[in-house]
Amino acid sequence: MLFKIKNLEYQKHNKNILSNLNFNIEEGKHLLILGSSGSGKTSLLNLMSGLLKPTKGEIFFEDFKYSTLLEEEIDKMRATNFGFIFQKLHLIGHLNVKQNIDLIKNKIDPKKVEKLIFGLGLNQKCKQMVSKLSVGEAQRVAIARGLANNPKVIFADEPTSSLDDYNTQKVIELILDQTKQTNSTLIVSTHDKRIKKYFSKITEMSL
Amino acid sequence: MSDLSFVLYSLKYRFLNSFLSIMLTAFGVSIALLISQFGNHIENRINLDGRGIDIVVGAKGSPLQLILSSVYHVDIPTGNIPYKQAKKIMNNPQIKESIPLALGDNWKGFRIVGTTTNYIKHYNIILSEGRYWDENFEVVIGSSVNLNISDEFIGVHGLLEDGSSHEDHKYKVVGILEPSGTVLDRLILTSLNSVLDIHGLHEINKPSEKSHEYDLDLEYHKEEHNHEHHKETHEIDHNHKHHEEEHSHEHHRGQKLNENIDHQKHSKDKNKINETNESKSPEITSLLITTKSPIANINLPRSINRESSLQAANPALEINRLTSIFGLGSKSFSILSLTLILIASLNIFSGLASNLENRMGDLAVLRAVGYSKNRIFKIIVLEGIVVVMIGLLIGIVLSFLLFSILKQNLSSVNTINASFIINIDFVIIIALVFFAGLIAAIFPAYRGSKISIANQLSRTI
Repeated sequence: MLFKIKNLEYQKHNKNILSNLNFNIEEGKHLLILGSSGSGKTSLLNLMSGLLKPTKGEIFFEDFKYSTLLEEEIDKMRATNFGFIFQKLHLIGHLNVKQNIDLIKNKIDPKKVEKLIFGLGLNQKCKQMVSKLSVGEAQRVAIARGLANNPKVIFADEPTSSLDDYNTQKVIELILDQTKQTNSTLIVSTHDKRIKKYFSKITEMSL
Repeated sequence: MSDLSFVLYSLKYRFLNSFLSIMLTAFGVSIALLISQFGNHIENRINLDGRGIDIVVGAKGSPLQLILSSVYHVDIPTGNIPYKQAKKIMNNPQIKESIPLALGDNWKGFRIVGTTTNYIKHYNIILSEGRYWDENFEVVIGSSVNLNISDEFIGVHGLLEDGSSHEDHKYKVVGILEPSGTVLDRLILTSLNSVLDIHGLHEINKPSEKSHEYDLDLEYHKEEHNHEHHKETHEIDHNHKHHEEEHSHEHHRGQKLNENIDHQKHSKDKNKINETNESKSPEITSLLITTKSPIANINLPRSINRESSLQAANPALEINRLTSIFGLGSKSFSILSLTLILIASLNIFSGLASNLENRMGDLAVLRAVGYSKNRIFKIIVLEGIVVVMIGLLIGIVLSFLLFSILKQNLSSVNTINASFIINIDFVIIIALVFFAGLIAAIFPAYRGSKISIANQLSRTI
């Protein structure tokens, strides 16, 4: 079992965001967390990735039990096993394409990073500052960064919500293609129902 | 990517802000270092030049001026004193050593000092070339004087370069002193009699054989000389005293300049008629004294000041007074340099803190992908340290360059041979700046490391 969520609860400002949540994710299976704004899907993503601490309940990732880990151990676990693709991309403006990807490089050799860059069609843009890229190019850099450490799990938060149908299909197919190559599990939180068809396991969340 | 590379790219990205912080640090450091370097050099000079001189006897006037002119050769003398009176003091049993000095001329700004070889021995300086003087107008030069053995030159009247030349007398270099870092490096030393002779005074231990008429002419010259001293020093009162002694005129202290000039004119007329050998009796500028006991340092000046028309000044006291004046100035400079260092630190703080707001998203991303709190803290502190280190480096180079330029232009305190030294003050300044920069970086670093990753990411998600 890759993830095990047991009786998970999360409160923010004394308001219940998530309550009594239970589910498992098997290795190699993708999960879509679907819900409207404010339903707590981003909070769930943050809890699963160790960016937030649950109010109650337990999260297990492989052999790790989050509640027993120190903050530094969670940081290390995240660096080794997880990749992130953010909706607003969050590329670091003072670095170029290669440097943004290199930031994440952890345990894989440089050849794999080069292969990734080539696979995403960014080989001509390596030295370019990210602020000079088109939206599509920037999105590919964000995907490359999310995959650079060859993660077991890729967390993607609203990766397609601001894109049109054509680009939505292109981006989600690109991510799925890359996850296939790296044999990663993809966990996406979104309100975008257009991508439901790509996932076999869907957790729908409501307010 | 290494953390240092990340920091360097970050600094490059916000170049103007980084540049301002670096330059402010550099200016603060360079000013602090310059003040410290020159301050140390002047302090060393004061200690070295004043070594072993307990009392200075000279003409009445400012005691500080007497010390500065006779010990450090940076001011105009207070006037001359009769050698006969100086001789009486030299024979005082409380005195261990006394060195007479006769000033009045220069060559290209280097003072020509009539003295005895004891003056050289007092500072334990040896000859690098040649020999001591045997005859009148033979000179031994300090190491900074740009002349060679057997060179001849004409002295210029007064202590400034643009005085009238003593065309009828030529000095000849017979010896060159080893560099010593003392005031003697920039002096031209000769016998007392050379200076007395060139100014038309009787030589010591040598009765005048000159004719009455010749003496008269020389006395005119001497009067003109005195008149120039009036112009140079405005020591009206002092010259009155000389006139009183030489011509038995009754004058009152504090008379106005025009009255004085009238008096001089009157004196000259009278000199033509009443010239005596007394008026040509040898005079010196001052007497440098080493006493036999510390108690004599206190008693001897008191008795000289009370019982004679001469002035005795204690260099230690006067230099204390001088350093308290200088101290006020250097304190202001120290405050200025500390303020600059503080401004530089605040700028580093402000640069990092304000930039932090814009970088919260970046830091959250770094945290999300596994950078620990400690690593984020180190990255921000490293950014502050890089700014401080570059600022320090530029500041040290800048201060070294400015020191090299400025030392050429502060010849009055003999800084030409001063060298930039790495001393305890240097280390303190560097450490102070470094820690100021470090402290300035700690708060933004702490704040940056404590960000809530999820909140920062959701702000823009």
